[in-house]
Amino acid sequence: MKFKVYRYNPDVDAKPYMQDYELEDIEPGMMLLAALLRIKDELDETLSFRRSCGEGVCGSDGMNINGTNGLACISPVAELKQPIEVRPLPGQPVVRDLIVDMDQFYQQYRAVKPYLIVKDPMPEVELPQTPEQREKLDGLYECILCGCCSTACPSFWWNPDKFLGPAALLQASRFIEDSRDQALDERLADLEGPFKLFRCHTIMNCVQVCPKGLNPTKAIGDIKKKMVTRSL
Amino acid sequence: MSVYVLEGLRPWVIQRVSGVYIALFTVYLIYCGVSAEQTGFELWRAWLFDPVNSVGVGLFIIAVLFHAWIGIRDVILDYIHNIMLRIFILALVLGVLAGSGLWAFRILAFRILLLSVVN
Repeated sequence: MKFKVYRYNPDVDAKPYMQDYELEDIEPGMMLLAALLRIKDELDETLSFRRSCGEGVCGSDGMNINGTNGLACISPVAELKQPIEVRPLPGQPVVRDLIVDMDQFYQQYRAVKPYLIVKDPMPEVELPQTPEQREKLDGLYECILCGCCSTACPSFWWNPDKFLGPAALLQASRFIEDSRDQALDERLADLEGPFKLFRCHTIMNCVQVCPKGLNPTKAIGDIKKKMVTRSL
Repeated sequence: MSVYVLEGLRPWVIQRVSGVYIALFTVYLIYCGVSAEQTGFELWRAWLFDPVNSVGVGLFIIAVLFHAWIGIRDVILDYIHNIMLRIFILALVLGVLAGSGLWAFRILAFRILLLSVVN
């Protein structure tokens, strides 16, 4: 099985290049992460990439696979067209090979205050929710912050410092929809302006690539609807 | 009001509302064109002088101007990052759109004025 992998070590290389690898004896059901680990073990120990759980839960191994962002650990190599072209997540500064600097992404995540804001005195027991209120968080809380969506979003490529990006906006929606949160007006006011939320042009790359099958575009649309209903 | 003239939620709502109006009025325009038994400058003028139609066309022009401004402004915000260049192009677009709008309303107002003089 043939692979073409993006290589770049800023300490040594003047510019990035694509390196070819070939693996024999591909096991049935083998995932791309396992293939990359085998390349690292058997062919080239200098190849660098992030990975942790290997189960599609931690979100560490987000990368661009044959032109589409995804998690290497849950991408079966048998389903990928050869040579399998592996690149770092697009639009982000490359630290080395497939490792990108996620600082900007995390800054935007922090900017939406991804935690419950409760102004009333905290009760001695937990904050209760009805099953219907809890249901509203489905499709929002499952995000693993792998960065596949935001780095697939052209609006995030053009304005990564100003547009929050689909991942952060999905998290904004998660707390806007939460019945226990008491900062709805502040959260909506924070998202006003031409850049933070309204750079989203419903391109829907985020929906296409999300490895958890989430829909940030719908979440962004729901925030806009909430803004409209609150302003009327 | 910021340098972008309308920002955030308001232009997003205006873009959608104006889009719906433009779509509906375009259908009405096509219907009027197709259902007209005769054509000619006098008939066209009579159509435009109809109070409903002249108000409709006036609103259509306003809708197109706002829709165009928000759409072009979005493209500029996405792709032009140099602030001075961005302000220059925004001002240029605003000038062209405002000029076109004033021109269109001058024509509309002139025709209506002419009609009132003739009658």
